[in-house]
Amino acid sequence: MARSKSILTEARQIERAVTLIQLGARLQVLESETDLSYERLLRLYKEVAGKSPSKGQLPFSTDWFMTWQPNIHASLFLNTHEYLNKVAALDEIDTVIKAYQLYLEQMQSQGLEPLLSVTRAWRLVKFVDNGMLTMTKCRKCGGHFVTHPHEIARHYVCGLCNPPARAGKGKPAVQRSLDNHDAEPAGDLRTGMGLHLCPRGGAFVPAAGGH
Amino acid sequence: MNSEQILAEIREANLSYLMLAQSLIRTDRDQALFRLGVNEDTAALIGTLTPAQMMKIATTNTLLCRFRMDDDVVWNLITNHGKGAANDGMSRLHASILMAGRHQEAA
Repeated sequence: MARSKSILTEARQIERAVTLIQLGARLQVLESETDLSYERLLRLYKEVAGKSPSKGQLPFSTDWFMTWQPNIHASLFLNTHEYLNKVAALDEIDTVIKAYQLYLEQMQSQGLEPLLSVTRAWRLVKFVDNGMLTMTKCRKCGGHFVTHPHEIARHYVCGLCNPPARAGKGKPAVQRSLDNHDAEPAGDLRTGMGLHLCPRGGAFVPAAGGH
Repeated sequence: MNSEQILAEIREANLSYLMLAQSLIRTDRDQALFRLGVNEDTAALIGTLTPAQMMKIATTNTLLCRFRMDDDVVWNLITNHGKGAANDGMSRLHASILMAGRHQEAA
């Protein structure tokens, strides 16, 4: 199969794969977005990243995108992605890469930790493509935010216009944990986040979705 | 500032803008469309300007670039009206989301 491919196409795919690996993508993303064989991708990954790719399943739940801070980051990325989608004629995966790079820049310029990984960003676009997530306009600020489909647009208020009570306290906790990676930050904030980040957490509480 | 100074400063700003725009477009055209907020035709045009052309275009009594936001919502978020410093980061993020969502002006 690979033999019939043009060398130029292959070169572009390798370049794409290298960019994705540098951005921290999981191997599954590379497998899905290039025609390169698993063995070659694995070798490429080790060469570029200097280590073996992490194993295990990809995060599969849409719930992560609904929690407060991740939702803000995901919305920023998705707005950028949609912008590029509208103004530039790019292949799907290139739009993800370029939008993600712009997202990283914005995080860097504002001194924030990028909560959204490239794998999650890629996943988010897939979720939107197959209708599991969408963007809804906030009736207060007019911005577009990641939501479940069928959100009642007339009543929707985004997480930034209407932050949860604990919202202000979450951020310092994240920054503190960045300052000393190995130390366990005291307090209940971390555990609160941990609950949200648990990939299976949401799957067992469908009632929270309110459908 | 007398009018001579004004014209000189506007030319400087225009020239810096055009040169930056051109190098952004040449580095990555698609990302430049997002950064500059211009459409593809304009970007293609700026990308091919010669230095002499840039000098000519820059020499005028108006600025070539203008603000991307002209509504209170974004302005208030950026200038952080009526909010404490604790919310500053979130306000800027909020403004970024709103501004990134505005592609109708570019397209």
